[in-house]
Amino acid sequence: MKLTQKNTIIFLYILTLLTALFSNYAYGWSFFVTIILGLSAIKFMLVAFEFMEMKKAHAAWQFLIVFYLILFVGIISVILH
Amino acid sequence: MSETDIKANKIDYKNFFYPPGGILIWILIMVELITFGAALIALSINSRENPELYHQSRLMLNSTYGAINTIFLLTSGYFMARTVYYVKQQKLDKAAFNNKMAMIGGLLFLLLKSLEYYEKIEHGLTIGYNTFFTFYWLLTAFHVIHVLVGLGILFFMYLGLRKAKRPDILNVEAGASFWHMCDLIWLLLFPMLYLIF
Repeated sequence: MKLTQKNTIIFLYILTLLTALFSNYAYGWSFFVTIILGLSAIKFMLVAFEFMEMKKAHAAWQFLIVFYLILFVGIISVILH
Repeated sequence: MSETDIKANKIDYKNFFYPPGGILIWILIMVELITFGAALIALSINSRENPELYHQSRLMLNSTYGAINTIFLLTSGYFMARTVYYVKQQKLDKAAFNNKMAMIGGLLFLLLKSLEYYEKIEHGLTIGYNTFFTFYWLLTAFHVIHVLVGLGILFFMYLGLRKAKRPDILNVEAGASFWHMCDLIWLLLFPMLYLIF
């Protein structure tokens, strides 16, 4: 399925709902923090790449966004694990 | 890239110096993300000293408000993206309508945030209550300031779209990027403050 702005907002709503459900029912699981932050990272990428159109940008900018997210999720997961 | 190309909306986004919105706004976005990211890492490190306090404090926040505010900002971001799309199509009436919807999303966010702040103050959960709430107030208030600035930008963009015959796409994209930055920051703040502790 081609990712359009309309599809993207639907994905974002679904991911927000999933995050809310997961946080209610899975608190205390081993990888709870990583999964919650991972879902947020996916939403972050959808906004950056689709809404902000960074999918059209130079690969270095795309790398910076993904690198930032990996670093952020990784560091927080290590600290809170 | 010549000025004529930019004015004719023929921007080569694959050029490193011309990401959508322009390089300056992206340097600003990266600096903001690093600043908020560092603060959230500090929050996590601090939580290890007293995890129970952070857990109890987190439970005092209303995660439903946080989730609804996420929906408000994401929806607003969607309308902002449509605004840019319609400006590129030269459909300025539709662009102005979507810009207005984006502003309404931002205003709803602020309305709910104000209600949340009011409830916290009513219960004495102010900035000095404990370290979790110090982080909560500093991070969310700093974010609210960004939303207020973003709404100001959107308002002037709306006026511009009503008047201009051919708006400068770089300016519209830069304003939209600032607004989306508020979404990006919130997407980090929401799970960190309302969900994980």
